[in-house]
Amino acid sequence: MSTPASSPLATPHPSVVRFRISRRLFSTLEGAFHEEVFFLILSVFIGIFSGLAVVCFRLAIDWMHLALLGPLPQTHSFRLLAVPSLAGLVVAVLVLHLFPGIRGSGVNQTKAALYIFNGVIPFRTAVGKFICAAIAIGSGQSLGPEDPSLQIGASIASALGRWLHISREKLRLMAPVGAAAGLAAAFNAPISAVLFVIEEVIGRWSAGILGSVVLSAVSSVVIVRWFLGSEPLFRIPVTTFKRPTELIAYAVLGIVGGLASVIFAKSIGYLRPRLKALPRWTQYFQPAFAGLVVGLIAFFGFPQVMGAGYDAMDQAMHGQFAWKILAILAILKIVATTISFVSGTPGGMFAPTLFIGAMLGGAVGDRMHHLFPQLTGSTGTYVLVGMGVLFAGFLRVPMTSVFMVLEVSGNYEIIVPVIVANTFSYLVSRGLQSIPIFDLLTRQDGLILPSLEEEREETILRVEDAMLPVPATILSAQDYVDANAHRIQDSTDSIFLVRLHPAGWSTISREQLQRLFQEGKGELTLGSVLPAQSVPSLYPDLPLDSALRYVNAYPLVPVVNRADSRRLEGVISRDSVFQKYGGTQTVVGV
Amino acid sequence: MSWTLPKLVPRSEPLILLILTLAAAVSFAGVGHLVARFNANQQARGRKLYTQGLADASASRYNDAIAAFRAALTCDPTNSQYQLSLARVLRDSNDPRLLDEAESYLLALWQRTPQDAAVNLALARVAAHRGSIEDATRYYHNAMYGAWKSEPDANRTKARIELIQFLLKKNAPDKAESEMMALAAALPPDAAAHLQAAQLFEQAHDYANALAQYEEVLRLNPRNSSALAGAGQAAYRTGNYATAGRYLETAVKANSQDADSRQLLATTDLILRANPFQSHISDAERNRRITAAFTQAEKRLSECAQQTGVDLKVPATVTASPLSSLESRLTDIQPNLARLRSPAETDLPDTIMDVVFQTEQQTATTCGSPQGLDLAMLLISQKREAASR
Repeated sequence: MSTPASSPLATPHPSVVRFRISRRLFSTLEGAFHEEVFFLILSVFIGIFSGLAVVCFRLAIDWMHLALLGPLPQTHSFRLLAVPSLAGLVVAVLVLHLFPGIRGSGVNQTKAALYIFNGVIPFRTAVGKFICAAIAIGSGQSLGPEDPSLQIGASIASALGRWLHISREKLRLMAPVGAAAGLAAAFNAPISAVLFVIEEVIGRWSAGILGSVVLSAVSSVVIVRWFLGSEPLFRIPVTTFKRPTELIAYAVLGIVGGLASVIFAKSIGYLRPRLKALPRWTQYFQPAFAGLVVGLIAFFGFPQVMGAGYDAMDQAMHGQFAWKILAILAILKIVATTISFVSGTPGGMFAPTLFIGAMLGGAVGDRMHHLFPQLTGSTGTYVLVGMGVLFAGFLRVPMTSVFMVLEVSGNYEIIVPVIVANTFSYLVSRGLQSIPIFDLLTRQDGLILPSLEEEREETILRVEDAMLPVPATILSAQDYVDANAHRIQDSTDSIFLVRLHPAGWSTISREQLQRLFQEGKGELTLGSVLPAQSVPSLYPDLPLDSALRYVNAYPLVPVVNRADSRRLEGVISRDSVFQKYGGTQTVVGV
Repeated sequence: MSWTLPKLVPRSEPLILLILTLAAAVSFAGVGHLVARFNANQQARGRKLYTQGLADASASRYNDAIAAFRAALTCDPTNSQYQLSLARVLRDSNDPRLLDEAESYLLALWQRTPQDAAVNLALARVAAHRGSIEDATRYYHNAMYGAWKSEPDANRTKARIELIQFLLKKNAPDKAESEMMALAAALPPDAAAHLQAAQLFEQAHDYANALAQYEEVLRLNPRNSSALAGAGQAAYRTGNYATAGRYLETAVKANSQDADSRQLLATTDLILRANPFQSHISDAERNRRITAAFTQAEKRLSECAQQTGVDLKVPATVTASPLSSLESRLTDIQPNLARLRSPAETDLPDTIMDVVFQTEQQTATTCGSPQGLDLAMLLISQKREAASR
């Protein structure tokens, strides 16, 4: 029997079927993408786009370098003087007229975007940073490509977030997600990038964003490795650590590195505001002057200080420089980078920091070998450890510094020397320079942003700090009202805790209990006349902030043991909490 | 100036992701194209620098070659040929600080292609520069059994010869010997290769095998003057003086300028003419040779004593000199020379020659290497000692 075409039972046309299936699939997919999942997927795209941008950025730097300086710059060539100076002029014009927000490294700006500008970093920042940093680094200014990559990544992420109109809360998080992607791509080291973003950009541990940061970092590294290969930044020599007594040598390296970090940071901290305060017209010539200084250093025999300097680090790692040359290179790099950075030339401090650390490490290692020939650590090992030392001391990111060395070297044998040296460097630097370099730069720009170091040093008040002793009289919900009323006669308290059965706590006031007694409810159990809702309990180790939610609603809040919730450790009240806060006033950020 | 991106009208997540995927794919393709073009340019530049580096290296301008190869590597950092060439020139520059860098390049290459014979050979040479017998042997063996891009047999032989030379230089003759045996067994029928092997055996003081290799050369090319001289010398060193004389005579005839062979031939002739223990000589001739040897020994002792200021007339018990002791023994045995003709004195020739040999050995120790008949007697004594051992 055939069905007429007009009948409702008629088989629909195939195109109609396809349309219905598509709609159903579409609506099913839409339902699957709640905001958290969507944000995670978006993080992968941020990683991809940031990775692609960083690939182009690196090509641009290499191309600039080859076009302006040639594949291997030779000393005593006037090109070394002319190129960085003229490039400095071009960069200054671009920065002053087209891209005013791209001075410096970009780490502070990204952090400011997160905390002040609701995650907004203009897309032109990415464009400007890309062009100007490529010209500056390619022409030999003593700066690195990592921090600009971080800012380019953050800027791309921010632009994407605004384009998609995601919520303000999520938009704020886009910048660090992009920053991690950019830095991971530049460094080819995802773990260090994630840690750096947490330590320096976000400035506090936040589990909510960790997944997105990791996803974006990993996806950007995959992209970079796809296009530029998975070769590490350096050819890592054989690194060894055999005798624990060698840790003394690494500790010395840590102290030397810490002192160098302080000198480096103080130089920047001193010169930057002074150069910024000079008349505006001088800003056209500051990057050119910096370029001239770098060019002079190169002209007179040290072209290694130009640009990021990864090749020189690689050579130092393989013992190709005598210790005096290593020490001179470290000093000259501090000079060159300080001048390049304070002149307002866009570029990063990661690579120069590694360079200085590597050279210092090599020099100290060589001297140590000279003094103690029985030491087994190769110069390459000291160079690697030295990189981490400056990272810990200058950038003040101790965790990143350890993982960075491990990730770059792929060798966990040197973890103990790295930790020892970095700890000494960090302590020396912190002792002599209270404010970390990035915080110093933000404060010079008139901003005060949170930092992980500050959070680490912050005194956290806990429930146990405001806890009062266990009250002498605790009532039982299973007892009769008259028995409980009799029990409180000897007490002077006005509020009493009631132990509920089988678990839980409640409170009752003296007046309430007496009223119940007077109302003739003495024969009833206290539990049967109490309100159904029990009082929440707290644990002693919880932050005191968490008690604030309850102390207004309940006159007494029980503090119980985590292993046995029936065991009462004490109580807290609104007065005890406020008294504690009133007694430990701290002014954050001063 | 304000740059704002257009607002996306639909807020549908799947659509957004679709657009992002398409955008990523397009960007990916674009960047891929850019990277490919950049790499192509860089590779062309790298090839040019590499060619320049090769020219510098072949002219032993190591610093220029290093700079050129480094520049080539900045253009094409993963090019293994550039890395290998840089490593080789770093090693050949004889700067110990550059050896580390050479090794690190080579180790990186080795990790990628452990079977590459050229990389293993380069690593072996670095280890040889460092004097590490164990590492060098391992990498040389890897090179011998590794993959060669061209002429594998010849390259393997060369690698083994290099290893043998290294082991000999490092005074490891036992290890060198075993390599040489392996080398000799695998040699092609080529006179030059056998000649080289024979010279290596000679360096290792394995004269028997050296002689065998020289004879193999002469089988392939009977008029090879180097092989004739070498065979003569090898036979001479093994104490096979008859054979030595034959080869040396031919060698001198083939190359009259060969002074070494001529001198050896003279000594060989002397030995053959003076050796009292030579077979197929008459008793009278043997007695004549013993008497001549005795007279020569007395003369040598007297000269040596004069040279060292020992008075042979003073008894040995007083001077405690071995020369005085030998003088008294020679004096004691001299009357017995007349009894050599007696058929009953079967042990007498040996007894006399023992004193003669001891005299020659002691004077060689005290007064230095002898010449002429004394040298012949010394060599005969050494051969007899070796035979008795």
